[in-house]
Amino acid sequence: MIPKVAGFSDKMMPASRRQGPSRRHVLRTGLAGAVAVYLAPLGSRAFAALFEEQLLTAPTWNGGKLKSRIDGIAKVTGEKVFARDIRARDMPHWPQRQAHALVLRLTRADRIYAGFDLSLLDGDLKPDRVVTATDLDREGLAFPDFYGEDILLPEGKTPAYLGQAAAILIYQDFARLRLAKYKLAFNDAVIRYGAVTGPLQRDPWGSSRFVRVGGKTPYQDDVFSTLKQGPVLPTFDRHQPVWPQPARDGDVGAQGMYYAKAIEDELAHASADWLVLTHDYATQSGDTAALEPDNANGWYDAAKQELHLVVPTQSPQEVAQGAASMLGKSRIGLKRLFLHPCFTVGYGSKDHCSMPYYGLVAALFGDGSPVRLANDRFEQFQTGLKRHAFSMRHTMAVERKTGLLQAFCAGITANGGGRANSSVAVTMVGATSAESVYYFPKIDVAATAIASRAIDCGSARGYGALETMTATELMVDEIAVALGLDPIAFRLRNVLKTGMKNGQGAVPHGTQRAETVLEKARAHALWTGRAARKQAYDAAHPGKYYGVGFACIQRRFGNGAEGSLAKIELAPDGRITLSHTGTEIGTGTSSGQAVACVRWLGRPADHLDMAVTEWPDLPVETSGDPHAMSQAEQDHLAMNPRWSPTYASASSASNSSYYFTHTTREAARIVFRHGVWPAALAIWKGGTVGGGPARSQVIRPDDAIWKDGYLTGPGLEPLALSRLAREAHARGLVVGAVVHGFNRWQWADAEFMIDGVPVHAPIDALAIRYGAGASAAKRALATTPNRYQVLDRRTVSLPPTQNNDAMVGYNTAVGTLAELAVDAATGKVALLTHHTILECGNMLVPDLVSSQIQGGAASGIGLALHEELPLYEDGPGDGTWNFNRYHLPRGDDVAVWAQTTEVLAPLSDTEPPKGMAEVVMIPIIPAILNGVAHAIGHRFRTLPVTPDQILEALG
Amino acid sequence: MTLATRPLTVTINGRTHGPLDVPEGLMMIDVLHEMLDLTGSHFGCGQGICHACVVIWDRDDHTSEEVPTCITGADFFDGKRIRTIEGIAQRNDTGEIVALSPVQQAFLDRFSFQCGYCTPGFVNAATVLLERLQRAPIARKDVETTVASALGDHICRCTGYVRYYQAVRDLILATPGLTRDGA
Repeated sequence: MIPKVAGFSDKMMPASRRQGPSRRHVLRTGLAGAVAVYLAPLGSRAFAALFEEQLLTAPTWNGGKLKSRIDGIAKVTGEKVFARDIRARDMPHWPQRQAHALVLRLTRADRIYAGFDLSLLDGDLKPDRVVTATDLDREGLAFPDFYGEDILLPEGKTPAYLGQAAAILIYQDFARLRLAKYKLAFNDAVIRYGAVTGPLQRDPWGSSRFVRVGGKTPYQDDVFSTLKQGPVLPTFDRHQPVWPQPARDGDVGAQGMYYAKAIEDELAHASADWLVLTHDYATQSGDTAALEPDNANGWYDAAKQELHLVVPTQSPQEVAQGAASMLGKSRIGLKRLFLHPCFTVGYGSKDHCSMPYYGLVAALFGDGSPVRLANDRFEQFQTGLKRHAFSMRHTMAVERKTGLLQAFCAGITANGGGRANSSVAVTMVGATSAESVYYFPKIDVAATAIASRAIDCGSARGYGALETMTATELMVDEIAVALGLDPIAFRLRNVLKTGMKNGQGAVPHGTQRAETVLEKARAHALWTGRAARKQAYDAAHPGKYYGVGFACIQRRFGNGAEGSLAKIELAPDGRITLSHTGTEIGTGTSSGQAVACVRWLGRPADHLDMAVTEWPDLPVETSGDPHAMSQAEQDHLAMNPRWSPTYASASSASNSSYYFTHTTREAARIVFRHGVWPAALAIWKGGTVGGGPARSQVIRPDDAIWKDGYLTGPGLEPLALSRLAREAHARGLVVGAVVHGFNRWQWADAEFMIDGVPVHAPIDALAIRYGAGASAAKRALATTPNRYQVLDRRTVSLPPTQNNDAMVGYNTAVGTLAELAVDAATGKVALLTHHTILECGNMLVPDLVSSQIQGGAASGIGLALHEELPLYEDGPGDGTWNFNRYHLPRGDDVAVWAQTTEVLAPLSDTEPPKGMAEVVMIPIIPAILNGVAHAIGHRFRTLPVTPDQILEALG
Repeated sequence: MTLATRPLTVTINGRTHGPLDVPEGLMMIDVLHEMLDLTGSHFGCGQGICHACVVIWDRDDHTSEEVPTCITGADFFDGKRIRTIEGIAQRNDTGEIVALSPVQQAFLDRFSFQCGYCTPGFVNAATVLLERLQRAPIARKDVETTVASALGDHICRCTGYVRYYQAVRDLILATPGLTRDGA
């Protein structure tokens, strides 16, 4: 499955790896290939029906505010919430015995793998089953395409990366596995190696270049841009990108290079009127360090040919599809797959990660026992998807007199490690985000994701933009100081305003609010008083240096091909049930979606099912790559009223509050407009003999307002939802709706007929359910398992494929001020306080937003000052890394009592909630480094900044 | 199977388990998870660093302390009394929750946790702290540093700690007997 990402294009891969148009998969609801897929997420009502668990409680809604998160009681009382908590004993229909597995991994990647020697596991510690590549080959088991080759490395090959898996050992009981793990840990003698080959040399995972030469003003037509002409793509020679020869009248690549060279020449020969600065920046390899290590628990029922799998995942849809496809292609008989995704936490490391497939393989070889595979923390460091290490060379030119930025060039390399995973997408997003909040008349950014023997990398929070924008914010600060300008004033002078083009030549959607964030920061006491406070602090604390730093960034949320399904059902007693494809990963998505129902139904959903992948009441088909298909291809496929460019997105890219909320609200709106509203009218206008009090009054939907759970109209009796629901059911009105939505930087919209009336909505699929009082004719149309009528769309307008190149996006802007003190004796940086200013539209649950800001800041502090992993032989691929060596920030490190936040008021009551959980991690990183520069006069350009480096800088 | 075992008798949340034949070399977390179905003490690191796995050891002198179960051998707990997260809320005879503890309620009300993986450790740490303050109240001006000291070893990756710390601080200030007035 190709990673879904803003602007990602198949074209951006090396020619040797480009996928042809024949690479399609058709997903019908619940059926992947020949394998039927059933899904009952842990904690769902489907699961609960089996096991009488209830992990989500009905929300308590106090005066328009959610009292606590709906998964809170389960989590605070230690209920079984995580996949890691589950054993066979928790699954009544599984055999009541639990086997356990461990993975043998290779700690060298420069020589042939020649097998293993398990003689140290003698007697009781001998595994009951050993699975190698030979077994997988015999059974026809191979990874889904996305993950590349070699689930288990066969003998005779050089490992592709450190920590690569070679074998799975299975034990029918826990104690022997545990003791075996003690023996195997840190033991280099188990694996045998052959001839030294050196590490594999491979072409980069991908490379692309984005060139723009703007018109005379930021608003006029561009001379050349990615949007107008396209990205510039290289060929590869000896594993290095080779850019096209510049030619003004050549093809897109040649033209792009012509303008790129022109920019380069202009900078090389710039007059003294311009300040041109070039610096190298580097950010570290890191671990997301989600506290739940990767795990899986699975059972293969050979008699029935059914596989059951309990997994934590941010991408349940991908796991369902990938597992079914993998088994469907194998020689293992499989008729049905039961997938149980669980609440989890990942920060990207559980999005499109391979652990579910290892769990699946272990289950297949369990000899009838359920098999649990669970990383300890050493193993998690050894295998968990990493944050890409970035190297960047940034060049910026600014006109000294005006302080206006003239050009930005960047050469960016991200180390993608041994499997592609999301590397191309992350690198491309990093490249197209590097411009941060500024307008540049000319941009040339080239970015390459290299393959190496480092551990593979995924979609870690920040997704490449964190790294490149950090470098930009460091450079912008340095330029400002060099020009003698206030760093925030300098930023304001160059900020991208609404209507201006971004680095790809597109105008970002909506009002751009970075300017407002900057203005707030400039006026903040931390900033205005910093010089005086530095003087006072340094004098009062000899040996310590005070500093204040600032940074501001903006980031797109969503990946450019967002899809989701939502179902709203209104019971006769007024209780609201919401089902959604979105997954709860700790951010509070489930609570937010429950609250999203308030707008149209007056109160939050009472019951919630998240991570639903079975949608028998609304068949939606998808095929092809939404990021890469041609317009002609999309137009052709869209003629199928069931087809959408994508099915359902993982929980990733800060996508829940805007994208998931959209489908939740559209489903709720359908139920309101075609069920609740006509029920209200019937009560207000009809009811008693002779008609009700509003019989002749004109009442429009716009006049109706929900107040304290009652629907009110001008001068009319407030109606409780329970009464409205009863009426809607009795009258056979619409009491349920399932919708599918698709967004490629704008929403798909379609027309449907409901009760003979055309209805336009920003969705591309719809099914509705009528109440019990519906006519026989209507009931006959409700043909799905849960008595829904699927409405074929009459027309549809899908977002153009050109939007893939536009990187238009919806932006969220955020700035952070960091106040710190550097201790000259120890080199340590103490964060005194930090203040974050965020704009994110209308918040669904303000407590959850501020929680994300606080958590994001802590993660940013970790990257700025504490966290670092070596990439290669002395890194975690050798299985020896843990929290004793990888330092996560504690409460003492984050200014826990003093930090503050400010969320700007939304532009209006109707501004949608905007994704913010990734952005808030970013600006504090360069703010801290800029603060250190203010404190000690030295600018660091690599992460993390360590005490040793500071001591060296202080001399 | 002929692994050497040791008998373990331990009282957990008021209920005595054992004697259990526990294979030598297993940590207490292994016993909790694999033998007693008490999975709420979460495995985070296996080095005693993150503190997601801590239980409360109740000593005979009526003091209590957090003990990380990932690095403490099961045999350490033989004859001892401990509380796990599963025993903190009040439950009825059928195991249903009838009341959260004040610490749990505070964490819930204040949106103190997100994914919830570290939460059992924080609940236990805060519970130990409040019980200690009951025995030896502190000055109000020292509450924040005391909270930071009690929770400071616990790792949370989601929340940035703010709401955990604030919830415990405010609970201490609001609970009679935990601070010395006017100090």
